[in-house]
Amino acid sequence: MRRALANAVAPAAAILVLLVAWELGVRYGFLKPYQFPPVSRIARGFVELSTIGFPTGVSIWSHTLITVARVLQGYVAALALAIPLGLVIGAVPVLDKLTAPLVVFCRSVATLSLLPLVIVWFGAGELTKVFLIGYGCFWVMLSNVIAGVRYVDPMLLRAASTFSVKGLELFTRVILPAALPRIFAGARMALGVGFMVIVGAEMIGTIEGLGALIMEARTFYRSEITIIGMLIIGLIGFAITSGLGLLERYLLPWAANLDQVRR
Amino acid sequence: MSTARRLASSNAALGIIGTLAAVALWEICARTGVIDPALFPSPSLAIREAAGRLTMDTVADNLMWSLMRVFSGFALGAIAGAAIGIAAGWYRGFGTIVRPIIELLRPIPPLAWIPLAIIWFGLGEPSKFFIIFLGAFFPVVTAAYQGMRSIDPVLLRAAQTMGLSGLPLLLRVAVPAAAPDLATGVRIGWGLSFGVLVAAELVAADRGLGYMIINERNTGGSVGVIIVGILLIGALNLLTDAALGLAIKRWIGRWHGA
Repeated sequence: MRRALANAVAPAAAILVLLVAWELGVRYGFLKPYQFPPVSRIARGFVELSTIGFPTGVSIWSHTLITVARVLQGYVAALALAIPLGLVIGAVPVLDKLTAPLVVFCRSVATLSLLPLVIVWFGAGELTKVFLIGYGCFWVMLSNVIAGVRYVDPMLLRAASTFSVKGLELFTRVILPAALPRIFAGARMALGVGFMVIVGAEMIGTIEGLGALIMEARTFYRSEITIIGMLIIGLIGFAITSGLGLLERYLLPWAANLDQVRR
Repeated sequence: MSTARRLASSNAALGIIGTLAAVALWEICARTGVIDPALFPSPSLAIREAAGRLTMDTVADNLMWSLMRVFSGFALGAIAGAAIGIAAGWYRGFGTIVRPIIELLRPIPPLAWIPLAIIWFGLGEPSKFFIIFLGAFFPVVTAAYQGMRSIDPVLLRAAQTMGLSGLPLLLRVAVPAAAPDLATGVRIGWGLSFGVLVAAELVAADRGLGYMIINERNTGGSVGVIIVGILLIGALNLLTDAALGLAIKRWIGRWHGA
């Protein structure tokens, strides 16, 4: 109990000392306030962002909502395509061998490098951003679904064949449950990728969304707003990873055991 | 062994067949006008356009710039990440101070640092270097720390019984034991660094492969060049990642079997 308290206090103290040193450093002129906006200025910036907004009229909440909506559109579309396709490719070994190099290559293509091409296709609007997110999520998801289905523990398959479980029943009762943790891990990775892509995609051709906010704030020398935007992006990222982790433990209680077996 | 090799070669053959089929399908669709060649030209047309508009020198120059950026940023990021992660896992006091700061910053994707990097370092090379550095740093530091924390204590106690302690214990037993986790982090870090590089070159650069393709689109050039550029970046990523994977395997193989 005492130990847990110490473990919580020490990190908090470390961060607090850092923030105070930062604030004092700016106040006594060791750090430039433009480059290192102190905490007090960030706090004032946050009030401005959530009431007046930056650019005026677009509050931090609508920036956040726009970004989240873009990510979700691309993400849901990618999952809807990748899961059925991955299940089919994973279940048919020949199909997997035929497509393996393509999947690996398409996954290696840096998603944001597609930006110039996609702008030629769809212009610099919403569709471009959603498409890029979709592309990034799709290949991560697809390769994980395929791997999940293909690399089911052979012991499970042999046990199933001992009980003469085969065909569709084998797929739905043994392979799918065994593959689900990997599929879920893929879904989690894909969301992370989508979130990363959106920040880059929003830096070009828009003034709405968190990526645009931090970039715009820089051009107007409002570094404190840039930092607020970054913190909110980080907060959403953190919420996504920890939220999905909790969801996984709740939905797939057998996943943790599988992880241990694999190690 | 020979069956395994035959199996592997049949897998490779099928892979080549599948890839060729996909490329052929793309070529046919573009030729017959199923997809508009002005928007998505056939591979042969794209290569011809690229060959006409770019000289080998331009491509090589941009390629070298990209590679140099990503190598330098990644190398320093990975080294710093490994050093700090290992130290945080080994020295309790250092860990309690450093870890909360890292955990606080880690969820922020490297690309979100671009504006702040420009504020701190200007539009030149240092800001790109910094972002690529971060792309490698965070995965490696987390993996190194986790690797250090999940070392089998029996291993350490056995080494202590044999008289090892302090720095030799850390370098000869603990670090090798944490190496597989560290390697995973390095691999992830490389992928991130590479993706970040392209994005940084799109947003703010005047050289490099990312710049080459965005410049082509901004000056209203040909889609073929953009496509060739994208494929080149993808191939580069794939090749370097495979090389890194191989190098890691050889390095770790010393302690953990190949």
